[in-house]
Amino acid sequence: MAKKAAALDIKNVDPHEIASALAKAMCEGDIVNFRLIFMPFSPARKTSTESFDMPKYAYLQPGDTQQRDPRFQQCLAMVERAEMMNFIQSELDANRPAQLPSELLLALADHAVREGKFTNAAQACELLRIRPRMQQIFYEQADAALDAGDVAKGVRGYRIATGLAYDYAAFPEPLPATPDYQTRALVMHADYPQDIMDCVGMQDTEPMIETALNYLLLEPEAVARLEKRPVEIRLAFLTEWVRRQDPRWDTFKQQYKEACALATAFGKRLEGQQEDAKDLAGAIEEQQQSDDPRSIAAALLGRTIGGGEWWQYLKELACEHPASALFVARQAVGDIEILLPRRRSDSAVARALGLCAGAASDAPSS
Amino acid sequence: MSDEGYVNYFEILELDESAKPGEVRKNYKRMMKNLVMEIARVEITEERRAHYLLEMAKLNAAFYILRNTATRETYWSKRQEVVALEAQWREAVKQGSPEGDAKRRAFDGQCRDFLSEYVEEAMLAAGRDPDCVEASHWDPAHERHASRILRHYRHDLYRRILERLPYVEVTPPQIDWAEREQTAAAILAETGN
Repeated sequence: MAKKAAALDIKNVDPHEIASALAKAMCEGDIVNFRLIFMPFSPARKTSTESFDMPKYAYLQPGDTQQRDPRFQQCLAMVERAEMMNFIQSELDANRPAQLPSELLLALADHAVREGKFTNAAQACELLRIRPRMQQIFYEQADAALDAGDVAKGVRGYRIATGLAYDYAAFPEPLPATPDYQTRALVMHADYPQDIMDCVGMQDTEPMIETALNYLLLEPEAVARLEKRPVEIRLAFLTEWVRRQDPRWDTFKQQYKEACALATAFGKRLEGQQEDAKDLAGAIEEQQQSDDPRSIAAALLGRTIGGGEWWQYLKELACEHPASALFVARQAVGDIEILLPRRRSDSAVARALGLCAGAASDAPSS
Repeated sequence: MSDEGYVNYFEILELDESAKPGEVRKNYKRMMKNLVMEIARVEITEERRAHYLLEMAKLNAAFYILRNTATRETYWSKRQEVVALEAQWREAVKQGSPEGDAKRRAFDGQCRDFLSEYVEEAMLAAGRDPDCVEASHWDPAHERHASRILRHYRHDLYRRILERLPYVEVTPPQIDWAEREQTAAAILAETGN
């Protein structure tokens, strides 16, 4: 009690520090730091023993470069308006949970969308009760862009709209929906393909696009909106989506080609040795004493995983390159299962995503 | 005042609050039979499965709660209580009363408890009741599928209630939707995302 009284006596919080910390959080679209300023233990509260001077709170204040950023200055101007500062101060002084100023929260949501911090934006919009309608606005504008033939803009709109989705069945409380490709990829490959044509990558163009969009877009509503569009548009959309979602897709393309070459080499080496090898799986089985077929999965991922189970490689691949899970398949080799590159050599989807260039990149078809 | 969102099992069974247990049973049997026949007629997709599971769970829970006078009265009094708490809190906010926050907390706790008890728990418990199992062929596999669907349904009801409640965590926003559309267009015109 005496300690708290002492803190009350000596603590003096600079309003400019509060304003710049809030402006920084807004400008960065960071709802966590924004809410922290209003928490009971916040350094912005006079009753708290925490202080902005403490090194651990240095990250709340903008750096020199950021202070010159026009977006930051715009946010600071919004916060530093007299009536806004009065409201913020009154909320910080009140002995109860603070009410967040919705005007600042709305600006934070916009900046979060700009920065691609969709979960922050979704949380801010949910607090403001505007999330479903904002999602609709982005869907509608993205659809208009697709109608006008602007696929890149359409993809941007769909990325934002799906990014604003909420998972109301999350435990213990509803939370923004987050990409869970490592789980979705496992579900997609849950059944062992009984026939080569059961593999995802061996589908015809249209079913393949549908599978890919269902898997990548996460939101059934988004997929339903795209369903009626011509196949060329959906293919262009898918290609642009993968490019935007995975900036390291080019690296994966190289790894995929190496894995294809490795898988083909396994087959070719054995063709010379064993005339009656029926398929690649049989051939690989014969060779597994000298060559570890798991090196194909390691080539796909670009590194080796200890243990090396197919599902471990699949989860890592799906996490690093979500779309990669569409072009691989499980293959039993003796008493182990491995992950192989698998796609049709005439697949329009694989071609559009750069997985078919050059004969050396052709995946084994059996 | 709206009581939308607080699941009304009388409405689900198309009955009024004075309905006798015999009417509850009769309506439940009729509606469940119609639902089972409808399920048999249509091709089951993922979306339809979720819809039918929820419909079945709602009918089962309605029968399970309303057939017995004691459970029916407890359910109805708890529902009335939470509806009254909502009204009291709204009134306190309207009057600017200092008791507003205490009333909000009382309402929020009661509302969550009511929805947990009478949406998820009652629906799952009804699925284990022999009479409901006989009429709906509900089995453990249904229960496994239903738990997520019921959680979704509970949150959906909570959200519907929340939509009409006073703002607590944030100040009431002044949303200009024309400005929102322009902002969205400006964001989409940028090439960052």
